[in-house]
Order: sequence, then C-alpha cells, then structure tokens
Amino acid sequence: MSIITIEELKKSYRDSEVAVQALNGINLTFDQGEFAAVVGPSGSGKTTLLNMVGGLDKPDSGSILIGEVDVTKLSSRKLIDFRLKNIGFVFQSYNLIPVLTAFENVEFIMNLQGVKREERKKRSVELLEAVGLGDRIHSRPSKLSGGQQQRVAVARSLASRPRFILADEPTANLDSVSTRNLLEIMEKLNHEEKITFIFSTHDQRVVNKAHRIIVLEDGKVVKDEVKITSEIR
Amino acid sequence: MIWIIAWKNIWRNKVRSLVVVMAIAFGLFGGVFSSAVLKGTGDQRVREAVSRETSHIQIHNPAYIEDNDVRYVIDGNRETLITVLDTIKVIEAWSPRVKFMAMAGSANAGTGVVVIGIDPDKEQRVTEIHSLICDSCGSWFKKGRGMSVVIGQALAKKLKVHLNSKIVLTFQDMQGNLTGGAFRICGIYRTNNSVFDEMNVLVNRTDIIPLLTADPGACHEIAIRLTEPDMADPVQLTLKNLFPSMLVQDWKEIDPLLGMLNDFMDLWLYLFMGIILLALGFGIINTMLMAILERTRELGMLAAIGMNKQRIFILIMLESVFLSLTGGVIGIIMGVLLTWYTNHTGINLGSLTEGFEKIGYNPILYPSLDLIFFINLTIMVVAAGILASIYPARRALKLRPAEAIRNE
Repeated sequence: MSIITIEELKKSYRDSEVAVQALNGINLTFDQGEFAAVVGPSGSGKTTLLNMVGGLDKPDSGSILIGEVDVTKLSSRKLIDFRLKNIGFVFQSYNLIPVLTAFENVEFIMNLQGVKREERKKRSVELLEAVGLGDRIHSRPSKLSGGQQQRVAVARSLASRPRFILADEPTANLDSVSTRNLLEIMEKLNHEEKITFIFSTHDQRVVNKAHRIIVLEDGKVVKDEVKITSEIR
Repeated sequence: MIWIIAWKNIWRNKVRSLVVVMAIAFGLFGGVFSSAVLKGTGDQRVREAVSRETSHIQIHNPAYIEDNDVRYVIDGNRETLITVLDTIKVIEAWSPRVKFMAMAGSANAGTGVVVIGIDPDKEQRVTEIHSLICDSCGSWFKKGRGMSVVIGQALAKKLKVHLNSKIVLTFQDMQGNLTGGAFRICGIYRTNNSVFDEMNVLVNRTDIIPLLTADPGACHEIAIRLTEPDMADPVQLTLKNLFPSMLVQDWKEIDPLLGMLNDFMDLWLYLFMGIILLALGFGIINTMLMAILERTRELGMLAAIGMNKQRIFILIMLESVFLSLTGGVIGIIMGVLLTWYTNHTGINLGSLTEGFEKIGYNPILYPSLDLIFFINLTIMVVAAGILASIYPARRALKLRPAEAIRNE
C-alpha cells in the first residue's frame, strides 16, 4: 500500500532573471517500509523533491498524497500540524537544539505533540538506546560527535511516530565510521520496525544500502530501480 | 519546555546578553532612584505643607477668600458647626483662627505679614509649628506672659529681632480703624519654607480679638486635621452639604500647586520610566534581531519539525521578556536598596539649602517609593519585553523553513 503518491509534480524557481525548472513532472509512489535513496547531480531537484514531500515548500502544480491527504492543498497552519504528526526529518547539519540535551531534543517533539510527560520520558530513553546513545542522554549536542548528533536527530525524527522519515544528505558531514553506524541503525529500524526512510544523497555508501534508488536529472526521474537482494525483507 | 528553551537561549551568547541585561539594570536603577528622589521630595513637601501650613481641610466665609477683609468672619451657626466638627470621628482636631494682613515693625525694619490668631492648645493639635521652635529659640505660647508672638526665623532676620524682642503689629480692626499692639517674641520657628516663615506670625487669639474689636468667638478660618488624609473628600462633601453658605476646601484646593504636585507626580514618574524603557526596548530589539539572524537555521528546523508560528512567537517573546525582566529585576533591586538606604540616612543637599527653602522644600531629601510603583514598573518591564519582541518575532515568522534550514 502506497503511503506517498506523487503525481505530475512541477516546481520552478526564478534565479536572477532565469527561470529554473527544479521539478518537471515527477510521478512516484512510496510504500510503507521502503528504504529509498533519491540521487542525482547537484541541481537535479533532490532536495526540492524532499521539501515538497515534507510540506516545507509548495509545488507549482501536481499533487502529493500522503495517505489520503494532498499536502499541496493544506494551509500553512495545517501543514505544520501535519508535519508534526506524520513526517520525521533528518537534516544534513543535524539541526539539534544546542541548549537542550540529547534526551530533551528527542523529548521536545513529543512535547509539541502534547504527549504526557511519563510517556515522553520513556520513549526518549528507548529511542536514544535504540540509536546506541543510552549512555549519552544527558549530553548536549556540543559534547557529541557529528555521528552521535545525527543519531540523536534520527531518534528525534522517530519520536513523533511519523509515517515516514525524510533524510536530506544525512551522512554528508560524517566520517566513514559514523556513516556506517548511522546507516546500520537506520537499516535496523527499517527492517525491524518497518519504518520508511527516504534519503536524498550523493553518498555512495547510502546508495549501496538503499533498497530502491531513484535517479533525478533536470527535475525528472530518469531511473527508478528496486534492488532485489536476499537481504531485503 | 518552551520556557526552558527560551531561558537557556538567552545565555547562548553570554556577553551580548549580559551587556543588554546590564544596560536595562542600570537604566532602571537610575530611573528608580531618580523617581524615588522625586517622589520622596514631593511627598515630603506635601506632608510638611499639610501639617504646617494648610492642614487637610479649611473652612472660610467665601467673601473672605475673595477680599481677605478682616470683617468677613465665619458667620451663621458657629455652635452647630463646632458640634458637627466634634462629632465626625475622622476629624482628629480642628483649630479656629483669625487671620489678616498687618504691618510688623521693629526698631530696625518693617514688613507686611499675615497675622494668625490661634488658640495655642487647639492649634498645636492641628499644625506642627509648635514643634519647630528649637530649644534656644523660645517656646510655644504660655499663659501669663502678656501679649506674645511666635514668628519665623526668616522674619526675625528681616526685622533684625531676637527672642524676647518686641515687635509692633499694625492692622485694621473690624470697623476699619487702624489699630495695633506691641507683642513680645516668645518663640521663633523655622520650617523648610523660608517664604512661609517670613510671612506668618502667630499670636494668641484672646490677645488679638479685643484689638480687632471682634466678638470673642470670631474666626476667619477653621483648620481641620484628619486621622486619615484619604478621608478629606467625604468629610469635605459632608461639611459642604451641611453648611452650604461656607467655603469648605481641601488642601489641594487651598494650595493648587501642592495638589498638582501630588496628583501629577505619579503620572510623571511613570512617563519618566516609560521613556527609559522605550530607549532600552530598542536595545532589546537589536539583541533579539541578532539572535534571530544567528539562529535562522535552527528556527527553520523548529518550523520544519512542526513547531507552529504561535509557539515560535512565544519562544521569541519569552526570550525578550526574560532579558528585560532579568535586567529589570536587578535594576529594581539595586534601586530599592539605594532608596532604602538613603531613605534612612537622607541626602543632605546642604549647599543648596537656601534655594530649596525659598521654594518650600527640605534640603535633606528622603527618597521613597510606593510598593504599587514597583509592581507597576515590573509590569511595564514585562510589557516592554513583549513589545520589543514583536518586530524580531515577526521577522522569525517570515522565515521559510526550506530556505532557513539551508542557511549557513
């Protein structure tokens, strides 16, 4: 069953006097439990596509159905609420709240959702343990390595129990050990919890782990390949 | 949790926050203490003027206020008036006075004065003049001393007279004839108002009535002291209703300048503090704008993960309020401590004594402020924080998450 259905998605930007077609008629569907990577050269529209799917930007035309909801039609207020309840984000630069501990960063999103204190506490600890940071829950981001910060970001993205997680270049700032650790954690969550991950990436290591690879060029899908390996499911 | 984040956020750049906190603290410290000096001085002036000069309420024959003619004594039913004055519980004391213009002359000089004929026992329960005669300056009226007069130090200096000197008071009697008498100075008082001291001489009413050829109960003025100054309005209204032919005035009407000083002092202080807070508000706006500029990516992330505009606005507003409140509380505490200390020690402006006394002010200032002022000031500080947050918060709300997240 598709959790995301993208139809004829178009988006153009005006760069100085020149109109740039960032997305030019994208049609895609994503099913529950996918571990997909959107790849392509710089300017191919990867980030724009993720922004559209994440409701961070509006397309010029086309639709994005998440479940039964067309997010392109939502008002900005409803969109914020929709993101909070349905979408998890992992950003390239971690983007944790620097004044909060790892635990508080994870807890914060549940606080926004109005989850009760006890439940927040329990789930925050569970998630941080799941990403291998059970012993660093009271550390602030500045006391964590890049890889550890990104794992906190993954835990935070899971905290709201989203339908899927969008990860924009999640390994771009990580060394190879941290990248391997992070990908293993994400893969494990995908495999065991059936959590859907959609990456935009340049990183071959991510591509190698992905089960589906979508290649974008000039705002169009030029290749959509599902890897059939014994490891998958 | 937003509260905690806001509080922690303001200490991310400690130096910058401390600079603005200290600016607010010292701005308010200066404002609070200046206000305390102004308020203390004003209150002191009002208190002294009421207790030494005007009392709380005065009753006159309306024609007397118009003409100041010695013939316009309080007429009508004086007995009923006295009964009523004795009946009203909040009236602590009242004193009948004859009051008229006269020439005071000594062997050396002469000058115009206001003669106030009083019942010494009653008068000392209404005004404090009797307590302003220093040990070496004689005493209040005593029986069996003949015709005595208590004069102000400034007048004594002008007439070049001393204790036990004699002065001659010349005036018109009730029939318009020139009359007068020689009075021995039994006491020399000194208030903080040299103009008052130079103008007012006090004599015993029983000495002056025969010279005026007035009837023994005659008086031009009844001065009333209340147990509760705030009760002046209802008492005044009651007396007005009961004695419509008499002019009943409270101290604000008797001395409009004093009334204005009392009524407008608070307004002025709040305006003064408001201007200080307005100036400090721009400092807060600047700090918050810088903080938002630095945190563009973070604010974008917060919006992306689902923090709605209302919460982002509250976050910015709380940061601004915490900044202003931290500085405000420090400033107010410093102001309170200095006010409390100087209220006990007084600020002696000795070199300016003459100037202060000419305008009726005590050269020793006792700063003071009401509790309500501090409560209102704290509310104003919070309001300034909220107002200062509006523009930076609007800037933050205009950020587009997709762009803000990628901001370097």
